[in-house]
Amino acid sequence: MRCIMLEKLSENIFDKVSIDFLRNQVLKNAYGNNDTVIAALDPRILLLWYLFFGLVPWFMDNVILLLGMFLLVAVTARLAKIAPLVLFLFCLGVFTQTGYLLLVSLFFGGNGETVVSLLIMTLKVAVVSLASVTVFSGLDPDRLANGLEWFGCPERFSFSISFGYRMLPILMEEFQNILLSYRLRGNAPARDTLAGKVKWLVYQVKVIMSAFYPLMLNTAKRSRTTVEALELKGYRYASRNMAVKRIRLASLRLKKADIWFVGLSAVWTAVCLGLSQWVGSGVLQI
Amino acid sequence: MIRIEDLTFTYPGASKPSLKHVRLHVEKGDFLAVIGNNGCGKSTLCKTLNGLIPHFITGDMEGRVLIDGLDTAEQDVGDLARKVGYVYQDFENQIVRPTVLDDASFACLNYAMDEYKERGKRALSMCGLREKENDFIWQLSGGQKHLLALSGALALEPEVLILDEPIAQLDPFHARQTYEILKKLNQEYGKTIIVIEHHTEYIAQYCKNAVLMRDGEILWKLPAREALRQVEDLEESNIFPPQVTSAAWILKKKGILSQNVQLPTTVDEGREVFSPCRFWPSVRRNQEEKQKGETMVDLENIRAGYRAVKGENRPIFDGFSLKIRKGEKVALMGTNGAGKSTMMKLMIGLMKPEEGTVFLQGKNTRKMSPEEMSRLISMVYQNPEEMFIKDSIQADIAYAMKVRQIPDWEKRTEELLELFDLTAIKERDGRLLSGGQMRRASLAIGIALNPGILLLDEPTANLDIATRHEIMKTLKRLKGITDTVVIATHDMQLVCQWADRILVLKEGKLIADGTRDEIFTDSNTAELGIRPPEIYAMGRALSEKAGCYTIEEFVDCFQEKERNEMHYAGEAV
Amino acid sequence: MSAKKSNGMNQSQKLMVFVLTMSLYGLATLITELIPKFQVGIVEFSVEYFLFIPLSLAMLFDPLSAALGASTGELVFSEIMLGQFGGLGELEKFLTVAIGVYIAGCLVKDPKNRTQVGAAAILGVILQLFMGMTVDIVKVQTAVAEFEAVPGLPESVFFTEGFAFLNDVLFSGIFFCMLPTMYLVPRLYGKIEPLLGIKPRQAQDQISGKPVLSVKAAVLSLIGFGAAVGAEYLAESGMQIIDWEASWAESSGALAVGIIVAAAAAAIVIFWMKRNAQLRNAG
Repeated sequence: MRCIMLEKLSENIFDKVSIDFLRNQVLKNAYGNNDTVIAALDPRILLLWYLFFGLVPWFMDNVILLLGMFLLVAVTARLAKIAPLVLFLFCLGVFTQTGYLLLVSLFFGGNGETVVSLLIMTLKVAVVSLASVTVFSGLDPDRLANGLEWFGCPERFSFSISFGYRMLPILMEEFQNILLSYRLRGNAPARDTLAGKVKWLVYQVKVIMSAFYPLMLNTAKRSRTTVEALELKGYRYASRNMAVKRIRLASLRLKKADIWFVGLSAVWTAVCLGLSQWVGSGVLQI
Repeated sequence: MIRIEDLTFTYPGASKPSLKHVRLHVEKGDFLAVIGNNGCGKSTLCKTLNGLIPHFITGDMEGRVLIDGLDTAEQDVGDLARKVGYVYQDFENQIVRPTVLDDASFACLNYAMDEYKERGKRALSMCGLREKENDFIWQLSGGQKHLLALSGALALEPEVLILDEPIAQLDPFHARQTYEILKKLNQEYGKTIIVIEHHTEYIAQYCKNAVLMRDGEILWKLPAREALRQVEDLEESNIFPPQVTSAAWILKKKGILSQNVQLPTTVDEGREVFSPCRFWPSVRRNQEEKQKGETMVDLENIRAGYRAVKGENRPIFDGFSLKIRKGEKVALMGTNGAGKSTMMKLMIGLMKPEEGTVFLQGKNTRKMSPEEMSRLISMVYQNPEEMFIKDSIQADIAYAMKVRQIPDWEKRTEELLELFDLTAIKERDGRLLSGGQMRRASLAIGIALNPGILLLDEPTANLDIATRHEIMKTLKRLKGITDTVVIATHDMQLVCQWADRILVLKEGKLIADGTRDEIFTDSNTAELGIRPPEIYAMGRALSEKAGCYTIEEFVDCFQEKERNEMHYAGEAV
Repeated sequence: MSAKKSNGMNQSQKLMVFVLTMSLYGLATLITELIPKFQVGIVEFSVEYFLFIPLSLAMLFDPLSAALGASTGELVFSEIMLGQFGGLGELEKFLTVAIGVYIAGCLVKDPKNRTQVGAAAILGVILQLFMGMTVDIVKVQTAVAEFEAVPGLPESVFFTEGFAFLNDVLFSGIFFCMLPTMYLVPRLYGKIEPLLGIKPRQAQDQISGKPVLSVKAAVLSLIGFGAAVGAEYLAESGMQIIDWEASWAESSGALAVGIIVAAAAAAIVIFWMKRNAQLRNAG
């Protein structure tokens, strides 16, 4: 059983998820969805919205309310047009986190009650994660950085986000090229047998690690120019200047769509809350 | 505008000063070229002008640099940035924001200018990038990125602009475009412009003055045309004067042109100077009869493209076919983004075509393992740094042979090091070598497995001309090891001297395929800026019948006296 | 301001180290995120993280910049770019990685001494993983109401977390942190510094320039760790008070929720207005 799984795993993931595919997915996620409904909203509103849906579910034990919230965040995630890879990772994250725990707790003498409380925990995790996917993946990183900065996040951090946003394609391309050097000149073990496959995987991981040695040196070369240019562009002076902050953040404006978004979310949550109280009286409350 | 007084600068930890007693005056509105071989202190000099030295790069500095009457040592870098704009040679790393307008206006924003967006837009308009303002950086081509780096510097409205090798990575079309923009900035907006430049044709055409540097010292500053006539000084610094000038100089030395004639620097000047020379059709050196070899690479009906970030995938190639035969020396030309790199990736199997098949020596590449392919075909990247995966070039050259357990790999490594003149530096890390050494090392890595076909992506980009010649010599050494070579390049001189078949790509279509004579008489290719070297134009200007692609051929054809069988290979390059 | 020296490095050089570590480690986490995990029975062979990158850089350059760069890089590239940002909960990883890398970087006096480099690297990793484990346990404890009462849960949480900790130290810690760091640091030493225009770190710089693991650093780390636990606690449980209040107001639940929501909304609006005014007044 495990052997088949392993075989499938190595074939599926490594054959299809080439670094090129990966790069495309990441770019798609970071740059490809800046024209969605979610992306057009004010980042500050979205952050506040996230604060609610990222915190409140942890304290709720009501299944109806949690399900209602789950529906809402599922819809917003849909609206944000999240890249498939991110959604896949999201599912993987949610289920491995609790699935594993479930198995072990059954081993330690858990029962139905354990399962139910773990299910509720899974639901919570799902709501919170989908909310964060909506906000942090749906919003383009640059606007997110502005929003965070408005709330008083250190300027260095929001700069890092925009900078990462700029550097990512370059870095990935360079990394890809170095890996290609290994592929063209290296000699990967044959992978017809299971042992060969394991060997092949180990080889791949080793190559990925060794690729960082040249990458470190090449990136060091780049960083120097970048930091000199930042110096010339007055970046270090600006980070302490409130006036610069005001000018930069002047583009953040509340619009009608933002009010609608908050309003609809609030109404939906209130309805769910009402519903849970009404059905409730303890029937479904655990 | 700029006044440098007795400047000496030593980098921290260096034993010798990089600049020695430099004195230089630059007037307002000048268009100055700084020339000199690699490592002569050109970039260091330019960095003293914008205050990076001594504020950012600390070291021992003596003497003064005055910009507009103010001492740079007493100003801070921010204030200086508003007076002096700087565009790096690796300009790509100078762009720090994700979108175009954002980057152009970033500096203005940092200096808290309320109209930062307007300033950014204005700078973009000056550089002709206005319609791109909302694009992401990675959507831009190399030439556009360079213009963006320039706009970023321009947005602060500095009076002086410094560009470090502005056209090193550009195709001829974009190179000319960049210089036209600089010319406009100089003439219409009155900016003082300083370029570090190897391409003497551009200096002749656009610059007003030129400074020659050698070993941290300034040898002279002369009006540009006058400067380019100092053929001996230039050659000693490994700078090659414009082809027209070199040709005239050779003819003058041979006594064919009179001794008091002034050397020409452009085709127009040449018309007059060469007028006493008559054209003798040279005995065409018999192109060795090419026996049509077996087909090495065969692309059949290829459709390929990249995954798009937004929307539908856009194919680069659709129904593309091409055959390359054994022994051919193919030059692949076309503007940036025409599909040259994609074509190479297809050949080497880094990219799989969506439709169609690639055959290597008659075998379908879909059915070959990467190991099998690497024995048939090899590729040298445009950026040699990405080929160095080990910590010494010796280990890098040996790597492919070692992991394949090729018998005598140690011996072969030694031979390759010897062949490419790398034995003395074999222990060093590839990244820390000079440009020319890096290229040679990357070539050695490329042919380590004795591939039948070698692909080279821009082997002469970013090199000064002396190093380019060195690379060309190295290419000739490949004979007998690897006979089928494909080079993607913008370098016309390389194409003319080396290639016997030229392919021109435009938007994934092959718009021309033939010998240099066929290509350069084709009007389609001229539109792409694919023009023969200057010397060809010179020949044509003198005689309709002339078709000289190299200085050597030109000198051969335009001798007044009876032709003799002398060869000038030693003097002409 | 331009050339303020401390630890033999000026501000811009620190920025360079920060930018470098951020880009590299960010890319590394992005990639490890996508390498599949292997499980043989209960033992997991996962490429947990390539901590060797920031560890090496912290040992070669300024440890603090490298440490902050590493955590920022992870956050920015793998969390925000991939859209996996977990909000407040990420603060925990941010702080533990920063502390682990910082301490490991401070411990190394001579980058050419392999034993020292290896020991510091594995210590940094153990520290980071241990802090991570503690936080994780606290997390489940607070996320599950009446944690102790659920049969089998406490044991399984302690067991899985403890096991994962050992597993990670022995597998990822050795293969992806200690060994590569030992290999890389002496190799990069003297080679990467000139590329950044920085003088290689000398053994004597350490003694005069920076006290190896000062009291201040230790206190800072402790506070940081406290904050990490606190943040996690806040993220997951949001203070017992609210829980308690909610159960107290169960009879008139809707009213209580209404009050809380109204109070929160009012606080937000006030903050909003204040912030706007603050920015308007600036400059």
